[in-house]
Amino acid sequence: MNNFCRIPKHPKAIVFFIVAGLFSFIGTVGAADSPRFEQDILPIFYHHCFGCHSEKQEKPKSGLRLDSAKGILVGDVVVAGKPDESELMKRVSLPHTDKDVMPPLKGGAQPLNDAERSMVRRWIADGAKLGSWGKFDHRGSALPVDDVVLSHKDVRHLSLEVQKRIDQSHTAKGTRLNAPVSDEIFLRRVYLDVIGRIPTLEESTRFIESRDVNKRSKLIDELLLTEGYVSHMYNWKADLLRINSKIAQGQPARLYDTWVKDTIRSGMAYDEFVRKLVTAKGYLWENGAVGFYVRDLGMPLDHMSNMTRVFLGTRMECAQCHDHPLEPITQKDFYQMVAFTYGVSNLGSPGGYSPNNVKQYPEIKAKMAALPKDEALEQSVSGTIAPLKRLTIDTNMQLKFPETYAYDISLRGKLVEPRTLFADEAIITGDDRRKAFADWMTSPRNPRFAKNIANRLWKRVMGVGLIEPVDSFSALPDPEHAELMDFLTQTMIRLRFDERAFLAVLLNTRLYQSDAVRENPEPGMTSKLLGPQLRRLSAEQIWDSYLTLLVKDIDKRKFISREGGTLDPTYLRKLTLMTADEIIAQARMDRAEHTRKRELGLRRVEQQKALAAAKDRGDEKEVKRLMAAHAEANRAMAVEPEGELIPTETDPRWKSLPTNFIRASETPLPLPLGHFLRQFGQSDRREIDAFNRDPNSTHSLALMNGDLTTRVLAEDSYLRKQLAASKLQGQQSMQLIYRAILIRSAKDAELAEISNITKSSLNPEQDLIWALLNSPEFLFNQ
Amino acid sequence: MSSILTDINRRTFVERFAKAVFGVSLMPSFGNMHAAQNKTGGKARSVIFLYMRGGISHIDTFDPKPGKSEMGGVKTIKTSADGIQISEWFPQMAKQMHHVSLVRSMTSTQGIHDRGTYLAHTSYFMTSTITHPSLGSWAVKQLNPVNTVLPGNILINGSPQHPRSGYMPTQLAPLPIVDPGAGLQNSALPKKITDSEFIRRSELAQAIGKRFVELTPHRDAAAYLKVQQDANTLMKSEDLKVFNISHEDKKTQAAYGTHTFGKGCLLARRLVESGVRFIEVEDSHNWDTHNDQIKQMENMTPSTDQTMAALLDDLHQRGLLASTLVVMATEFGRSPQISNTTAGRGHHPGVFTWWLAGAGMKGGYVHGKSDEIGEHVAEKPVTMPDCNATIAQAMGMDLQKVEYSPSGRPFTVADKGKPVLELFA
Repeated sequence: MNNFCRIPKHPKAIVFFIVAGLFSFIGTVGAADSPRFEQDILPIFYHHCFGCHSEKQEKPKSGLRLDSAKGILVGDVVVAGKPDESELMKRVSLPHTDKDVMPPLKGGAQPLNDAERSMVRRWIADGAKLGSWGKFDHRGSALPVDDVVLSHKDVRHLSLEVQKRIDQSHTAKGTRLNAPVSDEIFLRRVYLDVIGRIPTLEESTRFIESRDVNKRSKLIDELLLTEGYVSHMYNWKADLLRINSKIAQGQPARLYDTWVKDTIRSGMAYDEFVRKLVTAKGYLWENGAVGFYVRDLGMPLDHMSNMTRVFLGTRMECAQCHDHPLEPITQKDFYQMVAFTYGVSNLGSPGGYSPNNVKQYPEIKAKMAALPKDEALEQSVSGTIAPLKRLTIDTNMQLKFPETYAYDISLRGKLVEPRTLFADEAIITGDDRRKAFADWMTSPRNPRFAKNIANRLWKRVMGVGLIEPVDSFSALPDPEHAELMDFLTQTMIRLRFDERAFLAVLLNTRLYQSDAVRENPEPGMTSKLLGPQLRRLSAEQIWDSYLTLLVKDIDKRKFISREGGTLDPTYLRKLTLMTADEIIAQARMDRAEHTRKRELGLRRVEQQKALAAAKDRGDEKEVKRLMAAHAEANRAMAVEPEGELIPTETDPRWKSLPTNFIRASETPLPLPLGHFLRQFGQSDRREIDAFNRDPNSTHSLALMNGDLTTRVLAEDSYLRKQLAASKLQGQQSMQLIYRAILIRSAKDAELAEISNITKSSLNPEQDLIWALLNSPEFLFNQ
Repeated sequence: MSSILTDINRRTFVERFAKAVFGVSLMPSFGNMHAAQNKTGGKARSVIFLYMRGGISHIDTFDPKPGKSEMGGVKTIKTSADGIQISEWFPQMAKQMHHVSLVRSMTSTQGIHDRGTYLAHTSYFMTSTITHPSLGSWAVKQLNPVNTVLPGNILINGSPQHPRSGYMPTQLAPLPIVDPGAGLQNSALPKKITDSEFIRRSELAQAIGKRFVELTPHRDAAAYLKVQQDANTLMKSEDLKVFNISHEDKKTQAAYGTHTFGKGCLLARRLVESGVRFIEVEDSHNWDTHNDQIKQMENMTPSTDQTMAALLDDLHQRGLLASTLVVMATEFGRSPQISNTTAGRGHHPGVFTWWLAGAGMKGGYVHGKSDEIGEHVAEKPVTMPDCNATIAQAMGMDLQKVEYSPSGRPFTVADKGKPVLELFA
């Protein structure tokens, strides 16, 4: 089997290639215009030819390079004015089946489509003009930066500046913004976008009844400072960083979650956040940011692919195994990037016990050798110090070119020198490769770093990125919205990467506060800037909105992890500092605890057997007695796989509620299959943004018959209690239900319809609650 | 419960059910039929993949070492297959061994649960840039459905880490059955809700929904109105009965056992009868026996033995075994040495056992061999991709067919595993 990737058949991927290759610029050229080289032809060469014919390859195929004027004009590759005599035109026009067709179908490249072929033909016919273009700058240049510093107080001004550029784009194209949204629509939208749930009745009443002319921008500022913002932002970051609680066995992985949440809460600047991740050192219990590396234990190549995708909007994973067939990114480029982080312990280097990670290790070994042979104690010591193995530090391990490296055999097995992919070089002082890399990546001069986060945050609130797909950045100029994108990038830098201020800029624009685009986004097209894109809520938003109706002060309710167990951070901090003797003593204690657990375990086994027998006999009384005993043993054993004890709720507000009625961001992942969040497409965090929002009738089954709906309908639900307390009846009560669930008033026609359908009903209010939860409107952000 | 939609004819329903459960376009493309022809295998219309989570010991089950101290005193027994002995803890399975091919030379490099489990299900090593599809998703992707009504890929009692459809569309992901005793999740009305209430509420939801959809050309908005109607139809359908094991007679239910795995396997058999392609049942026992091997095995094996044997026997009695491949899989074996301190066995990917039965596999056959104490492979090593390739071949799948991920990466079913041709009768 040929081992190369090729253009996929999957529709999503086709969108990617179409955007990258064609549609992105076809809109800018009318049929009558003469194609311009840099705007129209270069992107075609970039995606179809540069994979083999550029200076990036060790040996460009046939010695042909199409990334320079000199290369293009060699021989009869391009004969100006004569497309039919141009070798390039001939070769790209051959049928798929011809072995000489360019690009060749093997190796993953994609043939030109008709529009592209005719574009190239017209360009040659018109004289193959290159203008002032001399050669393609693969590395691109760094961003010029100024010293302007802006802050949250500049938000209003910046919003107007952004809007000005949007308006200019409309003037140029003869389009215009959608109509402004009502307060009700704005309210629901901004709650969902900023804090990830619908507002409570109280919250919406306060906003709707306020007469303050600045109430929208005030609400935006307020919401950005809430715990709900932390929750919703965390889900977004966790999907990007692939955070789940099971990322590393025997490690307190939740401390990574906690660290990320803390940085959101404290408003840590985004560039600092990334710098802290990339340069993270220590144990999870000393520095939660090391979860960034512990997450990808033993996967140094994947780790780098994911990092460039998430932080630089650049996909390199094709180049893990071979030169990228669709872009001039070589395997060597990729290896040079990995060389920056390869030395990180746990990532590229094997993790055993050594004085590097467990500093007490030599002394423990010596002491154990002096003691009489005790296998049980040895095992116990090994278990006791096991968490200490996962220290994240830089080792002197260095990356080598793989033995399969095909492009320059002499490099096989040779050390790879680190080098950045684009723009500035990273200056390595001393041994700290990671610091040099982090400085390069997060620098305002990096042309993709600020732009990536600006574009991703834009997509987060507007529904579609200014550049789509968000991870398709290259050295090519932006196809559309370039000026707006540049301004947003500068704004991000000038706001010193303050995500809250940047979001406030976007949320205050008239664009954000316009009616949504209610059609499907057109495949391959970027936003027309008419309004935010209507979209289905994420699984987390649906769950959190349900809980808004079920749980008072939902944002404040947290996952309770009782202290205790060997993964408790306090214990681990102590363990880190223990002497060899203390560790051996601890190991003896651990062994005793282990023995106790084993005994309990055995007792449980006996109970299970007795229980099964009693059930078979139909001895109800005995079954009951054994169940109680079994529950008791379970409590004594009650240690979840990660060592956290099963919590019990003590807060009176939530005492009668299941412990898992907490915001999605608080729930340890991955959740069981069949859980509401999984059904609605929550990411399992194996991959970047692996969520899914496609309609499926298991969704309807859950909304119609599932536990959450049943609970909202129950008399003692938070919503029902609020309705009862309002003392409203009849149509007024119906209105209140509308406002609580859909966050809007019902129209008269709707009320009439409701009373018609429910006229024979004994409890029309419950009918309405059920129906609103089951109406598509509940599931969409409009 | 009275039927709301008695007038819906069956044919319409058939189409709706498929769309309802799968969302859109569940049908794999036709045209792969040639794959099965003129080749070994191709007899497995359905597969039941029994997964023993935690890593089941090979020595204490299907690869015993009579007389060795590593057995920890556990005896071996003769089986219905000449010359094949298994552990005394599987007396029921001993009567079924003439149906079974044991692969006693399974080997892997992955000694961590999640990585081993991932490899067992996908045949690929775990990475963090892509999730590979599980074998069931490959099956419904490549093969034509036997039954166009029911989902082709069903996972009973699956664990949260299951790779599901990986990079493939979610329509190919296994439909999870969380509780095999309760059938399809949320498909029954909650207690206290009457039919007439349900009808009224649905009508109201549709009326309210219609207004939104009229204003909203986005396809997913209309789709949600539609899937609600589909779900509604589904709830009242005859076909839902296949998920209800209480329709089985008491004797059959008792034969499989009333524990989750027993119910799951009984449900699996019902699904096979309805033509579902790939059903995975995870045993709810945790076979990760680090402590007290003997005691724990004594506790866990009887119900598992009962269920596996009942399944094979039942399939055989009903004439389904010829077209159904039953596989027992696990992520690794357990170390031959019983720890002095914990009395348990550690993870052991070096050698372990899977077995296959039915659908044209040899019966009463042993492939490969572990060494004297079950520590290393002695003969004919078989990897998990090899074994999955064998299953794929038995199902008539094309092992050479390259499928591309959305990011354009090429993959084949069972990676580069080579089918174990000696297993085919």
